[in-house]
Amino acid sequence: MMFHRRPRFRIPHKLLTAALVGLVGATLGQDASAIGPENVPAIEGGETAPLDVEKSELKFGFIKLTDCAPIVIAKEKGFFDDEGLSVEVIAQPNWKTLLDNVISGELDGAHMLSGQPIAATIGFGTKAHIITAFTMDLNGNGITVSNAIWEKMQENDSELLSPQPKHPIPADALRPIVEDAIASGEKLQMGMVFPVSTHNYEIRYWLAASGIHPGMYTATDIGGRTDAQVELSVTPPPMMPATLEAGNIQGYCVGEPWNQQAVAKGIGVPVTTNYDIWKNNPEKVFGVTASWADENPQAMLAVTKALIKAGRWLDQTDEDGNLVNREEAARILSRPDYVGADYDVIKNSMTGYFYFQKTDKRSMPDFNVFYKYYCTYPWYSDGIWFLTQMRRWGQITEPKPAEWYHQTARKVYKPEIYLGAARMLVEEGFIKESEVPWDTDGYKPATSDFIDGKTYDGKTPLAYLAQFEIGNTE
Amino acid sequence: MLTKLKHLLLKIIDLTALGFLEPIVRLCYGEEPGTQVKKIGQFMMVPVLVFLLFIMVWSAFAPRHKTKSGEVPTPAVTFDSYRSIMTFHGREGDKERAYLATGDAREKWLAEAEARLEELKPLRAEAEAAVEEAEAAHQGALTATYDPALAEYNEARQAAMEESKQRIAKLKVRAEGIAADDSAAKGELLAVYRAHTAQTANAKSDYQKLKQQADAILKAKFPQLAAARARLTRIAEEEQYLKQLVKMLSGGNREARVADGQTKLDALRAQYAGAEGAALFPLAKSINSAESRLARTAESAYAKPWTLPMQIIRSVYCVFVGFFMGSVIAIPIGVLCGLSRTFMAAMTPFIALFKPVSPIVWLPIFLIVIGGFFPDPDKHWFFTTLWNAPLIGWLKINPAFLASAATVAMCSLWATMVNTALGVASVDKDHINVARVLRLGFWPRLFKIVLPSALPLVFAGLRISLGVGWMVLIAAELLASSEGLGKFVWDQFNNGASDSFAKMVVVVFVVGIIGLLLDRIMIVFQRAVSFEGSVATV
Amino acid sequence: MSYFEMIDVCKGYGPPSARHDVLQDVNLSIEKNEFVAVIGFSGSGKSTLISLLAGLESPDSGEVRLAGQIMTEPGPNRGIMFQNYSLLPWLSVFQNIEIAVKRVFPQMPRRERKSYIQKYIDMVSLSGSEWKKPSELSGGMRQRLSLARTLAMQPEVLLLDEPLSALDALTRAVLQDEIIRIWEEDRRTVVMITNDVDEAALMADRIVPLTPGPAATLERNFPVTLDRPRERKTLNFNPEFKKLRNEVSGFMMDLNQEARQLRVESSIRLPDIEPIDLSQVG
Repeated sequence: MMFHRRPRFRIPHKLLTAALVGLVGATLGQDASAIGPENVPAIEGGETAPLDVEKSELKFGFIKLTDCAPIVIAKEKGFFDDEGLSVEVIAQPNWKTLLDNVISGELDGAHMLSGQPIAATIGFGTKAHIITAFTMDLNGNGITVSNAIWEKMQENDSELLSPQPKHPIPADALRPIVEDAIASGEKLQMGMVFPVSTHNYEIRYWLAASGIHPGMYTATDIGGRTDAQVELSVTPPPMMPATLEAGNIQGYCVGEPWNQQAVAKGIGVPVTTNYDIWKNNPEKVFGVTASWADENPQAMLAVTKALIKAGRWLDQTDEDGNLVNREEAARILSRPDYVGADYDVIKNSMTGYFYFQKTDKRSMPDFNVFYKYYCTYPWYSDGIWFLTQMRRWGQITEPKPAEWYHQTARKVYKPEIYLGAARMLVEEGFIKESEVPWDTDGYKPATSDFIDGKTYDGKTPLAYLAQFEIGNTE
Repeated sequence: MLTKLKHLLLKIIDLTALGFLEPIVRLCYGEEPGTQVKKIGQFMMVPVLVFLLFIMVWSAFAPRHKTKSGEVPTPAVTFDSYRSIMTFHGREGDKERAYLATGDAREKWLAEAEARLEELKPLRAEAEAAVEEAEAAHQGALTATYDPALAEYNEARQAAMEESKQRIAKLKVRAEGIAADDSAAKGELLAVYRAHTAQTANAKSDYQKLKQQADAILKAKFPQLAAARARLTRIAEEEQYLKQLVKMLSGGNREARVADGQTKLDALRAQYAGAEGAALFPLAKSINSAESRLARTAESAYAKPWTLPMQIIRSVYCVFVGFFMGSVIAIPIGVLCGLSRTFMAAMTPFIALFKPVSPIVWLPIFLIVIGGFFPDPDKHWFFTTLWNAPLIGWLKINPAFLASAATVAMCSLWATMVNTALGVASVDKDHINVARVLRLGFWPRLFKIVLPSALPLVFAGLRISLGVGWMVLIAAELLASSEGLGKFVWDQFNNGASDSFAKMVVVVFVVGIIGLLLDRIMIVFQRAVSFEGSVATV
Repeated sequence: MSYFEMIDVCKGYGPPSARHDVLQDVNLSIEKNEFVAVIGFSGSGKSTLISLLAGLESPDSGEVRLAGQIMTEPGPNRGIMFQNYSLLPWLSVFQNIEIAVKRVFPQMPRRERKSYIQKYIDMVSLSGSEWKKPSELSGGMRQRLSLARTLAMQPEVLLLDEPLSALDALTRAVLQDEIIRIWEEDRRTVVMITNDVDEAALMADRIVPLTPGPAATLERNFPVTLDRPRERKTLNFNPEFKKLRNEVSGFMMDLNQEARQLRVESSIRLPDIEPIDLSQVG
């Protein structure tokens, strides 16, 4: 029987891991997921000491994805109100418009792809100095392939026939399909959401890890298809399932709820999540223009405070480590002016489940991380990872010295603002001292939690690049 | 007196082109009842019946057509969506009012909301239980049907793949035994291999049929579960709304927040009065900031999200702004074209070039052009003035709004321009002769003879323009993500919820009805300026 | 030299290769305060003649003089009343007159202008219809309005282009009397185009027949010596009237026959082919 109800969370196992990680990770500093708290118990009380904000009526943009949750929650749960801010939250049609609206001043700030502030600051695409002081979440993306591709993959690898195949699933079984397609003069087409999106880098990482070349960006090829064995193209997230069903693409990498939609509608099969590609990778950030932050330093602090509180609320757990607020969050997000998808679809990933197939429902408590593991801190090392990927795939056309990577990350990531906000929250009694990495230099410990097992240390970006077989290595 | 009223009514009906109402008026006055009843049947009952027939056909066929992405909503589902849109609108309005509520009214409302919240608790528990029960039933049903079907499919597939493997193995063995010069055997091998691939393909199509059967079982609706979930969603949403309402009526209420701020300020002032020396400075700072915060709170408003009725008003406003912009450009140019053949020749290439361009092309261009004028729209006097203006302030006119309006103008002005040119160029010769006999100068001739004579055609053009503009606007708003009907449709499409398509169908009707009303308004204008012998009107 | 005259006027239309001559060598002299009726068959170029007199068109050769001055463009001193009324349909009765009055008497004060216009409305018995649009008026009322507008301009010459042709016999008679009454009140120079010999004889001082086109011209003059006021009822029994009518009609009929003969000769012979009846075939 395939529809047996699984226990809500595998608590003993999780606790054990946490304990081990707490013991070993702290001393060795090897596992990225080891840093930061695992459980976020509720805190009683707390009183806001409001700031003298320069601007109190704000407009924030978001894209209809579940990881916009911190902004929505900060509004709906009144965290913005507490700071004396009146915030309007406005859905944007696509990432490009969202960024343009932030730059033009139409929006004060927005839910952004991690790559967006970096790319804008270095001038890939629209040039503008965008900064971030708040990482909104970890993980949360999946790669879905069409039913036809999935069947062929199963033919290539009979392991995948099992109703609950072993994870992670690399792209190895996809490779013969890609080669067959090329032999018959075609190339597989896959969708991602934006040239500098985490999704683009993740699907490239996944393909390249199995020796499939996803194509290079060059000065003249801004579509990133030079030498590609699988061609990637930009498709807005909500269009993904329909485009897949229409057969224009054979797979895609996108955030939730669009992978679960594919399962719910029987259009495709999610093969992997970005949790398996890079465990606890940074996903979205809250971005504003540097000039906005300069003009409104107090408002910037107030917004960051509210967002940290929202992140904490989202990840709050009870004594057993169960997430307690996620169902309510899913309810709020399913409102038509927010994400708007059906509650039952949003609920899956938000409450820590993920359907890989209708027969394959797995518990993934870390599918969306909004607060624990020092998630919300703006790590320089996160920015540098995106820079290495931009260089790897040719979006940065020239090799750069290591120092450039560190400087660029410092231009974009502003932990000082984050720490300022966190300090106030600790004093006001909303968060605990232990929930903020006070003494860090901004670099996460080196980690090898990647699908290809390579080691990434933010301090040595060039050494990381040099390890790759596909793409630029310097 | 009554006859006068009848004539007035008939005149209004004639002016507004609502001819189908005429028999009713005449019937009320007892004029040829037989003829009138017949006419009523012809002009009112027939359309109503056809519309009912349409609804029936729609209801009958919608459920039969579905894709994986969604299904065609039935009229009932569409009406439900309309109600849920209006519920959302109503609740957001309530929250806004709750935020601003004061005194006893606030207390009373708060008590009501809390009572209702209390009422909902058992209902919710009940609904949750129902969902669980339905889920269990669903899974039970699936276990009984889907699991065996899937197992059958997997078995068939495994078997087919196994057979295929065996055949290949045999073929390989066979190939090994063939010598280089044995062409007959080689040919045979190839034939056998071909037979093998055909067999594999057959087997595949067989087991895929099984898969389809299994999928069909999985996808089949389970109404009990759907109903239980819908009920739970309804209750949970109301609960959420009430919680928010309670917050807006208690701690989050403006009055409450102002009172709270005042208390804090008073405390600070008392402290300040008692303090001395170095302690004074930080207190002064605190008092100052508490004062400004209090002032801000006292003026603050609930950040209400856009709801469909608000978006409709903004869209209508936007189309009129664009229509006005277009007309202001099109009418003078059209007049010049009609007056001067040279000018017409100069304009023809532009008209030919720009007329067929799609709104989707104009919009990004206008976004850039208009964005260029307002580098920092939030602080620009033009927008701040509009935002603070009464009546239209809440529309939040921004560059995206202007770009949408400009796109509407650019796409719709051609009909007006061409019609104006035609109207001006084709003034009755007799009327021109009158002007000549009277020796009217250029301007009097233009304003007394040419324009009045061209007016019916100009208005016919304006009417087409407004229709085109309304059609274009939806696309423009969608692209510019300017709040309005277009944005609503795009948001619904992005939502991808089960009722999203139904909400889009609601918009189809909204757009159609508003388009009809706009057209009627233009007909009234057109009739008002028409005269005997001018272009025929509807 | 006459007051208002046409001297050797020619007028044609079309390009030189396919020229269509409408009027050829037209000479007409009208004395001041004379009522002249130009009579002709339809298509004989009557409207072109009056357009030339009004200055709406200029002659190809020859000249039109008013009080010795060569006329090249229209003006309010030659009030023309068009065959099809030429009322401005978007203006009311009052406004249609007002637009002319404002133009001719720009200095007239508002109040005076109003009573002045009212006077002309009353004159043509349109009182009570001041604010009606032309579309709400009957044919006769429109014609009267057109007359009122023309008279209100106080033109030196009144040009009437078949003013009564579109009306039924009763209305026509009423208007004929009205025009005569008004003309007798303050005698002006009048040129009236008509196709009705009785009407011409009843109203005019002189009848000038226009030969049928193409290349129409004015050949003879028939002075009308009947005493005024002419009584419609008794006129039919007046021998002088009968004689004049017979004379003019006879002249016109002859002209017409001549023209018909001319036309037949110049017409193209049709080929003698019987159409095939398809139902009979096979």
